[in-house]
Amino acid sequence: MAARGRSRRTLSFSVDSVGINRGESLPPTLQQPTPVFPVMEQKPLPLTGGEEAEYLLALKQDFRGAMRSLPCFIQPAAALRDVERYSDKYHSSEHTDGLMDWTPDWQRFPRELRIHARKPARDGVSVARSDAQSAQKKKKKKVREKEEVLIKLETLQKKEEQQSEEDDDDDNTEQKKKQEDDDADGDEEYDEEEFEEVILYVTCDGSNQSVWTGSGLTEGSVLQETDYIMSYFDNGEDFGGDSDDNMDEAIY
Amino acid sequence: MTAQEVRLCGLLLHEHFGEVVEKVGTHLLRSGAQNLRTIIHETGLSVDLVKKSLMVLVQHGACLFSSGRKGPGSPTEYRSGCDRILRILRYPRYIYTAKTLYGDTGELVVEELLQRGHMTMSGTVKTVADRLTQNMEEGRSMDYSEVSSAFSKLVETHFLQRCPKLAGAGTADTSAIPPTPESFPDCYKVPHMTLVGRGKRQLAAEDGEDQRNAKRQKMDSENSESVPGIYWQVNFERFHLHFRDQAIISAVANKLDQTSSEIVRTMLRMSEVTTSPAATCTKPLSANEIFRSLPASYNIPRPILDQYLTLLVDDPMEFVGKAGESGGGMYVVNLHRALANLARATLESVVQERFGSRSARIFRLLLRKRHLEQKQVEDFAMIPAKEAKDMLYTLLSQNLVQLQEIPKTPDYAPSRTFYLYTVNQLPTARMLLQNCYKTVANLIERRLFESKESKRLLEKSQRIEAILASLQASGAEPEQLTEVEEMITAPEKQQLDALKLHINKLDSAENQVDETIFLLESYVNSTATSTG
Repeated sequence: MAARGRSRRTLSFSVDSVGINRGESLPPTLQQPTPVFPVMEQKPLPLTGGEEAEYLLALKQDFRGAMRSLPCFIQPAAALRDVERYSDKYHSSEHTDGLMDWTPDWQRFPRELRIHARKPARDGVSVARSDAQSAQKKKKKKVREKEEVLIKLETLQKKEEQQSEEDDDDDNTEQKKKQEDDDADGDEEYDEEEFEEVILYVTCDGSNQSVWTGSGLTEGSVLQETDYIMSYFDNGEDFGGDSDDNMDEAIY
Repeated sequence: MTAQEVRLCGLLLHEHFGEVVEKVGTHLLRSGAQNLRTIIHETGLSVDLVKKSLMVLVQHGACLFSSGRKGPGSPTEYRSGCDRILRILRYPRYIYTAKTLYGDTGELVVEELLQRGHMTMSGTVKTVADRLTQNMEEGRSMDYSEVSSAFSKLVETHFLQRCPKLAGAGTADTSAIPPTPESFPDCYKVPHMTLVGRGKRQLAAEDGEDQRNAKRQKMDSENSESVPGIYWQVNFERFHLHFRDQAIISAVANKLDQTSSEIVRTMLRMSEVTTSPAATCTKPLSANEIFRSLPASYNIPRPILDQYLTLLVDDPMEFVGKAGESGGGMYVVNLHRALANLARATLESVVQERFGSRSARIFRLLLRKRHLEQKQVEDFAMIPAKEAKDMLYTLLSQNLVQLQEIPKTPDYAPSRTFYLYTVNQLPTARMLLQNCYKTVANLIERRLFESKESKRLLEKSQRIEAILASLQASGAEPEQLTEVEEMITAPEKQQLDALKLHINKLDSAENQVDETIFLLESYVNSTATSTG
């Protein structure tokens, strides 16, 4: 429209009807994007306060906080740091406890979404299943696991000599395959593809027992199969990260 | 699924379900229906994480699955919709409504169901009883029957509904459209089940009673879970109807007076069960019925009621209409028209707050007179020409006002064409709705930014609070407590207070914008159903 009117002074639309008078000039053209935070001529109104608004606010913040602690809040697997540290073996299981608390009703979900959780290779026990349908299988397992705890204790002693190198690497799928073959339990269904790609969930023996049998095991040493509490494995990398703003307190 | 909606859904998923679910959810929103393999491949996450995220999304109703489009053998496809995820913004309002209607028990029932997505009745009752028992004094515990009765009341008034049974989750589903909850006749029937027991406190003081209760619970849990898989979910539509009614009543109270709003409230209450959710107006009610159903505290004589009704009918907002003369006059509440008027008032106030009252006058004028020329606008609005032109162009550049060309000749020659200014209410409402979504997304991002900036300070204060709590529990002296409190310096405390104030303001602003979103959404949906 403007290009065609370039050679002549008239514009393509009638100036009268749109309202531009002859003497006035058009406002300057914009050469760049509008500013990100433009100045507002009118300030916005203040928020409505009041009891209801505050109660709604409290409800909202409580809800957000509560959702973080539920099993549906999924944390990604923690990124591995540059160098493997000894304490990783004991720290990595802390985050995954919430995942096993939720036993969904598998009839309402498509079958392909079922996850078969694997136990770490250290135990000689059969693979745990997140299949909630079979309550009877659960009971059989309870009995079986108690017997197998004793067997496990013996095999653990043997295995610790053999697997001293492989212990530190939890994501070792070859170990898992070996264990799968040794396993006497024949009812399990495997997806060929998921067998290769799955990443181990390090669910320890202690946490599973507390889910299946309901015995009140204490946290800490039993959960991680060590004799020390978890702060023993703090590797000192978090020290000194606090604020250095207060320079009048000397740091020794 | 506009870009703003997807962005807001992503932020909501991130806050409530973590970043893994956010990735999977936004991918589904952007790409439509997909099967599991494609999702895994395109998001680049591990198989287990994707499976868990999909389960979480399905559990909360944000994702639906059905057998593939290519036939019974193809893999199941998952699709997600923005609407359900955007409801998360409104959760506090739902919980608060349940509290006002059914007390603390109702509030906790609705909160539990919102947190978990779908739950069985027995599971909900147990959890809520335990939570209530936690807050009660020592020695008292909450009885299951009280919680069950609150649950049943919620189901009877349709605030809760059964989840639709998914026909053969593993097998082929022939119907393309997933069944709605309403298509099942038992949707609102509570199964006949007796739950006997009391809530358990976490730290049990009386072991004997708890053991007895535990035994009885185990027996009853076997009884109740024999009812195969009836899951309950919150019925958002019913809550929305409630909010809509509340909006109409408060609008009448603001425009007229308290008594008229009570009359409208009575009319709406009487038509709660007889009106379908998509109805344009309620069923006609005779003035005699209204008179009989007015609450006892409002004993106004019959002729005064007639005068009020006439006033309501004559009001330009057209909340109430007259549908006939029998029974002393038949009156209806015009629901869709009321929603349209409320949306119009919202648009007008937006223009007023952003551009000033004179621009608002022009806007209202154009809404009423539909099409006006430049000169007519100046005359009717009584604003000098130059300023009127300026304001019109500002409104035009913000797309709140449109230009309509009416040619006099078949070649649209500019000198022989009328240019009329006009406002179309529905497209403008849609545009403002998208602006609202963008606003909420910006508020959330700003809040996350503020918390991230002061993350170290927040963590430090949390640690100190934990230390204080543990010291108090173990009974420490006041000097130790003050020593620990002094670990936070005064400037840090100021910073923390300012941060808390900002975060509260941003959160509160989100709640308020959501009220506008609700109004505009209801209006847009009501036009869709009436024209479609």
